[in-house]
Amino acid sequence: MGDVGELELIQRSLEGDLEAWGEIVVRYKRMVFGTALAVLRNWADAEDAAQEAFIRAYEKLHYYDLSRKFSTWLITVTINVAKNMLRKRKAEPEPKTFHSEDPATLVAREELRKAVKEAVWSLPEGYRLPLVLYYWEGLSVEEIAKAMRLKPATVKTRLFRGRALVKSKLLEMGVTADAV
Amino acid sequence: MQFENWRDEELIRQAIAEEISAAEARLEGLEKRVIQAIATRDLARSAWKRWIRSVLSPRASALRFAYVLGALLLFVGIGILIGRFSFAPKPLPALAQEGTVFALAAPGAHKVEIVGDFSAWKPIPLVDPDGDGVWTLILKLPPGRYEYAFLVDDRWVGQDPNADEYVRTMGDYTSVRYIGGGSS
Repeated sequence: MGDVGELELIQRSLEGDLEAWGEIVVRYKRMVFGTALAVLRNWADAEDAAQEAFIRAYEKLHYYDLSRKFSTWLITVTINVAKNMLRKRKAEPEPKTFHSEDPATLVAREELRKAVKEAVWSLPEGYRLPLVLYYWEGLSVEEIAKAMRLKPATVKTRLFRGRALVKSKLLEMGVTADAV
Repeated sequence: MQFENWRDEELIRQAIAEEISAAEARLEGLEKRVIQAIATRDLARSAWKRWIRSVLSPRASALRFAYVLGALLLFVGIGILIGRFSFAPKPLPALAQEGTVFALAAPGAHKVEIVGDFSAWKPIPLVDPDGDGVWTLILKLPPGRYEYAFLVDDRWVGQDPNADEYVRTMGDYTSVRYIGGGSS
């Protein structure tokens, strides 16, 4: 089913063809998982959220506006599902997959890489999510704005500010003396 | 090792990609789990129910309405923009010796802010006390190169007519000023 067009898959899914929807899942699971992880910062929760997002999207498929880009709509559904999970969890837990390093040990290239990773993934969600959508999903500022229901200018300032926060975190760790 | 090549956004991209790719094994067979869950929840509705829902769906009429509304808004928006913003460079207030003046002509705007690396991209409001439509802010900045943009009623205005140069970052323009020893 790899060469079937997206629109056809959506139409077949609307008619109840679960195999077609399965193909949609195959095509978008990395994107949906990445988006959920950007909100939840936890692999197991992101996996649950990804599954739930695909189920929710299937349920709401009749309300998908064909004039919108499907991936952007799917990201919006995923963000809603992940944020609901976050609310149910009450407090955002410490990320389980990242750990702090002693600044004194942050001297090698490998450690620098880890430091950037930690700085990015410890950003507040409001900055982390646009960065992931921009750098991982490859969405434009306008698409992120639509997916997050924000103004494009707000997305831009969050992207710039997110990078500034990464820089300040790295300064805090003693990893960088340079600026964004 | 110093983080010398910070401008290389590849490091951020890599940090994000690594974390997501590392969990890729978890996505194995996700499609089967989704299909199973949908089937279990009995979401696979019969064809006629789906047909009724699709007929009752607001998509068809809503789309037509959205196109008309979109065209109308575009028409009005262009009109407002043409009448509202003048990007012709205007003389700066004679206060430059107190700091660096950031000024933008935006008659009719309700709110003008500036974001830049000097404020870690947090918005700082400009003021227009005499109501002439020229919004200003004076900042005392140490010598250096500064990237910034204006937000006019939450709309990104990246090309300041008074800037020394423009750079394109993340799909849009930002302005650049050189303070002290530079061209400004």
